[in-house]
Amino acid sequence: MVKLRARCLVVGDAAVGKTALSQMFRSDGAHFQKNYSMTAGVELVVKSVSIPETSDSVELYIFDSAGKETFVEPCTKVWGQPSVLCLVFDLSTEPSFRSCGRWLERVRAHSQGLHIPGVLVGNKSDLSSRREVETSVAQEWAQSQGLEYHETSAKDMENCEAPFLTLAQAFHALYQDRLQTIQNLA
Amino acid sequence: MIDPALSSLGARVVLATSSDEIYPPENIIDGNTETFWISTGMFPQEFIICFAESMKISRLTMHCYNVKTFKLEKSISDDATDFEPISENELEHMEGHLQTSDIPLNEMNATHLRFIITSGHDHFISVHRISVER
Repeated sequence: MVKLRARCLVVGDAAVGKTALSQMFRSDGAHFQKNYSMTAGVELVVKSVSIPETSDSVELYIFDSAGKETFVEPCTKVWGQPSVLCLVFDLSTEPSFRSCGRWLERVRAHSQGLHIPGVLVGNKSDLSSRREVETSVAQEWAQSQGLEYHETSAKDMENCEAPFLTLAQAFHALYQDRLQTIQNLA
Repeated sequence: MIDPALSSLGARVVLATSSDEIYPPENIIDGNTETFWISTGMFPQEFIICFAESMKISRLTMHCYNVKTFKLEKSISDDATDFEPISENELEHMEGHLQTSDIPLNEMNATHLRFIITSGHDHFISVHRISVER
């Protein structure tokens, strides 16, 4: 049995629902904040995820990082060495999807050549009449960047655990892989 | 003289920030490079070795994998307090081979040694063996 620890960055444009998603995940759906409150710095959320079919778990240190441009530079100072990435956009705001490339570049520039497992999350799937980004388009871009794609609605508690479970499993798989490499050294 | 295993001299690991029970930190001081302690995610990572009594050390060698930067500190107190910095070290990545870090210590006295691994060449690092020359 092992308990891994992963530093999970949550990034994306302002007001796409990064904090709502992080808080819904933390509280198992008990806490959806109806009023928007802008995150100016980085909020830390810690939650443990059990890895199915093992007795192992991954403790996610979720760094919910401000999306507003003015605050981004100071935030990157506390990102440290990220373990996994959760990149969020708003399905009803096309520009937030277009920004994803820039966010990804930023995180990669920060990760010193390390491979960072990541997910792309299209949030606000409840706003179906105002949807501006098609699933297939987002899916295709995610795939081209080596990210796994999820759609969520923090408001309707739809699928909020899935992105984090994917990240925990990817990090666990990475650990198993590296362990194998190190065992073979000896 | 080189000690085959620090544990046979009564040394213990009194703190480690990661624990996979299959790869315990005691593997660092068993004198064997085939057994290891592995970090389980995030940096920094730290472990402290406590000697049975104050030791005079002329050289320290660490065998490890994926370590990028680490700091070494020592204490001469009996209760693992008042650590003083000794050195900051950077290691190159060696694909498929253990890294070896040799640190001359000039007959330094210590009761405790603290290793703080501040960054890695990968998400996980392993420490296989620490040996000292007296």
